[in-house]
Amino acid sequence: MTQTKAKAKTETKAKAKRSVTINPGMICQPIGAMQAVLGVHGAISLVHGSQGCAAYPMRMFNRHFQEPVEIALSSLGEDAAVFGGADNLIKGVHALVARRQPELIAVLTTCLSETIGDDVDGILRKIDLPSTLVPMHTPSYIGSHVTGYDNAVKALVTHLAEQTGPNSKINIVVGLLNPGDIRELKGMLAAMRVKAIILTDISETLDAPLILPRPRFPDGGTTLAQIADTANSIGSIALCKHAGGAAAKYLTSKHKVPMISGSCPIGVANTDRFLENVSHLTGRPIPDELRKDRGRLIDAMIDVQFKIAQKKVAIHADPDVASGMARFVHELGMEPAIIATGTESKEFVSDVQAVASQTGHEIEIISGCDLYELHEAIKKVGVDLLMGNSEMAYIRDDEKIAFARIGFPVFDRVGYQRRAIIGYGGGINLVDRITNAILDHADSA
Amino acid sequence: MPLTLLECDIPIPEREKHTYIKKSGETIVPMCNVQTTPGDLTERGCTYAGCMGVVGGPVKDVIHLIHGPIGCAYYTWGGGRRQNLSDNTEFHRKYCFSTSMQEPNVIFGGEKKLYNSIIEAYERFPAVNGVFVYATCVIGLIGDDINTVCKSAAKEIGVPVIPFSCEGFRGVSQSLGHHIANDVIFEKIVGTKEPDRVTPHDINIIGDYNIQGDLWIIEPLFEAMGLRILCTFTGNASINDLAVAHRAKLNVVHCQRSTPYICELMEEKYELPYMPVSLFGIEQTSKSLRDVAAFFGLEDKAEAVIESEVAKILPEIEHYKEQLRGKRVFIYQGAPRAWHWIKLMEELGMEVIGAATTFGHTDDYEKIIERIGDGALVIDNPNSVELREILLGYKPDLFISGLKEKFLAYKLGVPFVNGHSYERGPYAVYSGFLKFAKDIHTTINHPAWKLIEGRV
Repeated sequence: MTQTKAKAKTETKAKAKRSVTINPGMICQPIGAMQAVLGVHGAISLVHGSQGCAAYPMRMFNRHFQEPVEIALSSLGEDAAVFGGADNLIKGVHALVARRQPELIAVLTTCLSETIGDDVDGILRKIDLPSTLVPMHTPSYIGSHVTGYDNAVKALVTHLAEQTGPNSKINIVVGLLNPGDIRELKGMLAAMRVKAIILTDISETLDAPLILPRPRFPDGGTTLAQIADTANSIGSIALCKHAGGAAAKYLTSKHKVPMISGSCPIGVANTDRFLENVSHLTGRPIPDELRKDRGRLIDAMIDVQFKIAQKKVAIHADPDVASGMARFVHELGMEPAIIATGTESKEFVSDVQAVASQTGHEIEIISGCDLYELHEAIKKVGVDLLMGNSEMAYIRDDEKIAFARIGFPVFDRVGYQRRAIIGYGGGINLVDRITNAILDHADSA
Repeated sequence: MPLTLLECDIPIPEREKHTYIKKSGETIVPMCNVQTTPGDLTERGCTYAGCMGVVGGPVKDVIHLIHGPIGCAYYTWGGGRRQNLSDNTEFHRKYCFSTSMQEPNVIFGGEKKLYNSIIEAYERFPAVNGVFVYATCVIGLIGDDINTVCKSAAKEIGVPVIPFSCEGFRGVSQSLGHHIANDVIFEKIVGTKEPDRVTPHDINIIGDYNIQGDLWIIEPLFEAMGLRILCTFTGNASINDLAVAHRAKLNVVHCQRSTPYICELMEEKYELPYMPVSLFGIEQTSKSLRDVAAFFGLEDKAEAVIESEVAKILPEIEHYKEQLRGKRVFIYQGAPRAWHWIKLMEELGMEVIGAATTFGHTDDYEKIIERIGDGALVIDNPNSVELREILLGYKPDLFISGLKEKFLAYKLGVPFVNGHSYERGPYAVYSGFLKFAKDIHTTINHPAWKLIEGRV
């Protein structure tokens, strides 16, 4: 756990490292990779691990997205643990192709298969089947779900991206966001008349309409042809650099596709910057329509000022969402008091330090933060509002503070996967959500 | 017609052995409790899930420390997952403990991290009565000696520290995890304490996990018959209740898949008999109460309880029965509920056209086949492709299964009730039966189904 207090100049506090994690603030790599694969049309993840490695993430997705999710499994048992899992993997890939004919199979490793030491890349190279096979190394004992997403999208472009000729599109790597965010993103791009390849696009696959008959694979998702075409784009932007930055970097170094790395477009300034970046890459102007959306967001922010100004906020989310949100709560006249993330990251710390020095707020920054540590920090600092996923509801109960849900998983209220937090429209949603959380809390007190 | 191959299974013909169409007079049981076919779109969980998620996890006053990388701990954390309730909500299921093994720990071993984690967790929550340590996949591979670590940690903190070697890859499903948890709890906990007092009417309720409070409607029925509940295994259980469980006069066994092991061990060592029961629906619950009462010579009291409980729900049950008559149901549960509920559905006038289990053994399938009608489909460990074919082909009016299948059913336009963690339960005994009937009626008659474009 890296804990930092920042105010203009940074003061770093050495903290004794606890061995035990209490109420984790992160999940392991495979589930992040699975979310990336769920955004690819006709793709299925095949986890090279034991039964739980498929069943548990499925349940998390079910709860958060309220959607069916298919995850295949190589079904490693005791024999495989001793003799290796190659046979299971080969048999598994063949069975999956025969039954589901997916366009792409992402083979995800786990702590089990990585420790056994199966040569997944070598095994897959020898298999000749109509489905594209992409190995993704996602050992559960390195990084977090964020790392898993980052590795997965990088693996997709590494295996598929191919230079064929300029396409006048931009690549946008989304990160671990929601279907509502991608719809907001598409709206912004459409307003600018910018053509984009969205990596990866869960806006329909994880928010599918109930219309019968149900297609064999959900409609939507990024196609393999689109992923191949990312090598020909005029530039890449990763909305969340921790979850997608690796793919953008790969496209730069391998295919000379320039990348722009910025903050997650949450709030006014971050969204402004994002749109400027899109405009810079494409030469397209920012249209009136988006200027009006921006104005509506600022109108909403001014409207609620006396309801929320000066409130102290604790935020725990994935690194880029947390740092993006830090700036937005400042714009709202609130005080970002604790900004934390479960994933260990120096870049996160410097991102939030930048917010602190630019805004003058004293921010306690905690990376690699479990919820026990978050709770301790909240008790010490004292905050009015907590923002984070459903797991944090108990801190609201214990501390009797307002609570606005963001992130993953949200399972104790409905609709969060449908509502954007990015862009001006997402900002308006957040203004409503934050203000109503504070008002509801005041009413119940 | 004996074993059958679904169309979607033509590429993996070994699934035929798992798929049976019931015909009276035959003695065929589908193949079960074997490794899932690789590449399967399985719905199964792992050994760790059976050990920690099902049997160990409900114990309410111990630290459940998951030894391994973070995911396995995260997935079994409290809020909104398995809804096995306890009355220790200030601690139980609120906190999740993990050693969160990182790469260096995997390379150099995690014993020191485990030891420190036990001590640190206990220091922060000294009110607990013990620590359960669960080993996940990677621990078995790197060979951490968790037994020795737990012993020395127990010496340090002065409460039991109990190791469970329940690595996910060990078994073919959750089932081995149940067995491991039974064995460890029996060996290391049961019989380590004596109760303050004993009465001639002490029972344990074995194999109920208090889903949405099942136990809290089951226990009062037995208590009204003059019985005392010494221990519940393991819904809402304290480790101290488990320690004195050997002094009961009878083990009343509800889930007969996850607990026959400890019942047999207790019978062998303590001559404590056990009685399998089915506490779902009027007929089965009443029979169970009568059987238990007969054991203690309390028949009159049982009749009084049954009469008053049935009277409370019968008029409404009759109403639902009228509405639900002839509806066709497909039940897919972990194991025992698939056969517990066949009779219950018949009590509501419905027909069970198919039954499946995630981790059932031969005896579970024998019970299903004995209870189910001719022509019904019995399928072991069905996967999402098979479920789709069954739901579209058999067109049941209702599918009863768990969360992982819920949204598939919805997306195919099939009414659904979650039988694992319930909708608006609890569903046990009499009052629960009425809630179950109401939920079934609600989903089958929900107006939105009719609005779906393309539904025939």
